[in-house]
Amino acid sequence: MARYLVNRVAAMAGILLLVCLFTYAVFFLFSPDPAVQICGKTCTPERIDQIRDNLGLDQPFWSQFLTFLKGIFVGRSYGDGVSAVQCSAPCLGYSFQSSQPVTDMMLQRLPVSATVAIGAAVLWLLGGVSAGLLSAVREGTWVDKTLTGLTLGGMSIPNYVLALVLQYVLVVRLQWLPFPQAVPFSDDPVQWFLNFVMPWIVLAVGYAAAYTRLTRANVIDTLQENFLRTARAKGLAPRLVWRRHALRPALTPVVTVFGMDFAGLLGGALITETVFGLNGVGKLAADSIAKNDQPVIMGVTLLAAFFVVIGNVVVDLVYTVIDPRVRVGT
Amino acid sequence: MNRRFALTVALSAATALGLSACSGGSSNTPTNATGGQSGTSFTATPTKGGTVQVLQNTDFSYLDPARGFDGGVNNFYRLIYRTLTTSAPGNAKDPNAIVPDLATSLGKPSADGLTWTYTLKKGLKFDDGSAITAATVKFGIERSWDPQIGIGSPYAKQVIDAPKSYQGPYKSGELSTIETPDESTIVFHLKKPFPEFDAVVAQVNMVPFPQGSGAGDEFINKVVASGPYKLATFTPGSIVKLERNPNWDQSTDDVRTAMPDGWQFNIGIDPATIDERLLAGQGSDVDAISGTIQASTLPRLQTPQLKGRTLTMPGICTTYMGLNTTKKPLDDVRVRQAINLAIDKTAVQNATGGTQLATLTSTIVPTTVAGHKDFDLYPSTGNTGDVAAAKKLLADAGQANGFSMELDQRTLPVAQKQSEAVQESLKKIGITVNLNPIDASKYYETIGTPTQQHDAAITGWCPDWSSSAATFIPPLFDGRNILPKGNSNLSQLDDPAVNKRIDEIGAMTDIDAANTAWGDLDEQIMKLAPVVPLNVAQYVYLPGSNVTGLFASPGAAAGGIDYVLVGLRDPNKK
Repeated sequence: MARYLVNRVAAMAGILLLVCLFTYAVFFLFSPDPAVQICGKTCTPERIDQIRDNLGLDQPFWSQFLTFLKGIFVGRSYGDGVSAVQCSAPCLGYSFQSSQPVTDMMLQRLPVSATVAIGAAVLWLLGGVSAGLLSAVREGTWVDKTLTGLTLGGMSIPNYVLALVLQYVLVVRLQWLPFPQAVPFSDDPVQWFLNFVMPWIVLAVGYAAAYTRLTRANVIDTLQENFLRTARAKGLAPRLVWRRHALRPALTPVVTVFGMDFAGLLGGALITETVFGLNGVGKLAADSIAKNDQPVIMGVTLLAAFFVVIGNVVVDLVYTVIDPRVRVGT
Repeated sequence: MNRRFALTVALSAATALGLSACSGGSSNTPTNATGGQSGTSFTATPTKGGTVQVLQNTDFSYLDPARGFDGGVNNFYRLIYRTLTTSAPGNAKDPNAIVPDLATSLGKPSADGLTWTYTLKKGLKFDDGSAITAATVKFGIERSWDPQIGIGSPYAKQVIDAPKSYQGPYKSGELSTIETPDESTIVFHLKKPFPEFDAVVAQVNMVPFPQGSGAGDEFINKVVASGPYKLATFTPGSIVKLERNPNWDQSTDDVRTAMPDGWQFNIGIDPATIDERLLAGQGSDVDAISGTIQASTLPRLQTPQLKGRTLTMPGICTTYMGLNTTKKPLDDVRVRQAINLAIDKTAVQNATGGTQLATLTSTIVPTTVAGHKDFDLYPSTGNTGDVAAAKKLLADAGQANGFSMELDQRTLPVAQKQSEAVQESLKKIGITVNLNPIDASKYYETIGTPTQQHDAAITGWCPDWSSSAATFIPPLFDGRNILPKGNSNLSQLDDPAVNKRIDEIGAMTDIDAANTAWGDLDEQIMKLAPVVPLNVAQYVYLPGSNVTGLFASPGAAAGGIDYVLVGLRDPNKK
């Protein structure tokens, strides 16, 4: 187990390093000159050179990349003397447009993205898995058909459309909910819930539909397995048959997909956050793309990659717990 | 410099309170200053207390006034910062005027115009309680020379004398050309006489700061307030909350009324959602203002209640089409005049969003900026273009059969519609206009590079101060300012008479006489027809029903609603 973990972490580090190198290369090659961005409106060529020199922008690619990598572990500073700005570890770059370290910008917004992701995940897991189970148990009945129809609808509706429709109905017309704002839980739990519930629903609907289908298909498959017939034949209580023998193998693929989906969302729910004006990592990415703020786009890319890679490792570990057939060689 | 138009318009239109009013620079009443159904006025005096909500899409560029410099943030700065002089409040008799703020009076120039002296008022304090002295004013201004910090307004560096190697107080220490003989006197030495120095001192980068503060990125998240409010909460990209600065003294301030107890800027809201919230007007949104509403929302404002809440203010930025005078046959003045005559400005106005979002203009300097003169050298019925007269001029120029030209076009829906309207107009006189789409992010860079620009381009210009046309005419038409990159003289007009006149007017010490002269120069330039003035963007607001004190400030707010006068009718209304 320990060796497995070490291997996985090493592989993870390797992947992240590659992602770093790739994104850095892309942005190094295609990004507008940060010196020009800092220089502002009354820019002279001498000042551009001075800024390039200050920030080490005149160094070759590999040297800049190593400085960037070093910054992730030990931090770095941009500029020199009293007007140098400190970017402490893990330094994922510096936004010259907003004069802030990228890591700080992301950390400020991460709680909002996490709130959106966790709330939506709870909704879609509860909704999707239970609807999938119900559908599988009642396979072929009107319940199953209705749910299948609904999932098709849920998967088809683009979430920006759903967001605007819900906002119009629930906020403008019925006035049941406020226009969403990122109210911290610690400020006012009730308002926190009321403000986030609509983004959760919007984000959860598409996932819930997919999870319903996935759960339904897996459970139906599993119910036809021999070991289940054996379990029933030997007289095991139906509840135990379900819990011990059917659900576990049926839900393993759901866990896999969930790990990836959830990890991806921690890197920002771009559309939902933007439509509702929630200041999360996804909205940061959207805004930065509009402003061509390359260091931030790169930072968000790396953060998302980081979460997905971690998510994968966690999923693999959880696997071994829920499915006894999967065991790690020692 | 075209970037400035992009920035100002984008920021003020989409986000903070946009551009606005005051026609002729004298009347200060917004065109629609009285509310409809209840007869309540947008300009009624607010009651003390409460929090004004501002809904905006884009974040402020910088809290640091040495860095930020655009229509959206300049207005905000006046709530937290003060300068020696500033633009008159929006309700002043002449809101384009420059008035004293921290100083007891406007500057006193020496006989040779090279030395300007200001005296500070008594009892001025920062929000930390320390005194605002001549030394702190000097220090704040010195920050403009720091290569990394002083990226905002360029005028201090252009006008105040300084050693070439000077790099701000953190790197180079004190600047010897700004003297502080005592606690309350500050003396500036200029490179050459600059009669409008009071407008330079009113720029946002002239804010005082305690000596030694604000190095590096200290002021990115922090403010040392000199105005009536200080920073309470700052979450970049999301919320900026201001609360009262207890050390600000109303008796020292003739500009700001500071009626609300606080301000909350809600940032990052989708523009369509902002409009929905303003239309719905629920909860704290009755206390809300925002930038100009979306064109798509306009048709929904036709109900009596909403009509009564709609406030329209003309802007200070001119949208125009520059004609590259170095290209054939545009080098012939008759061809340029023919184009001026032929353009259907009404069609271009419709493409811009209709009569509510743009007013027609025949001059370069808009009515809202001092130095405007009324004239129309290329009139036509209904402003739809005079095809016959245009054709005659083209024939005189030997272009009776027309020609084809390239129009650079920004890849945005409005720009595309405008370009197509121009294309249609010129087709009628035999000119084939080929559109050359350029990605919005590269547009200004491309047209500002003479080797890359084509025959014509539609762009705009906003002045840096509205008390004269000194930041309107010279950047666009001074032939000695044709730069290889970042060029704002799009027509590349280099006319000796115009250049000479620019210098003469710039040296006039009587600002009123200078403004009359700027107006005449506007007409003189339009005779050469290097540009086609198209329209002036106008802004439509839908303020919450509890908000009042809404006056336009061309100088402080790029023409938009002047924050320093805004307040609530009833702070206890819920």
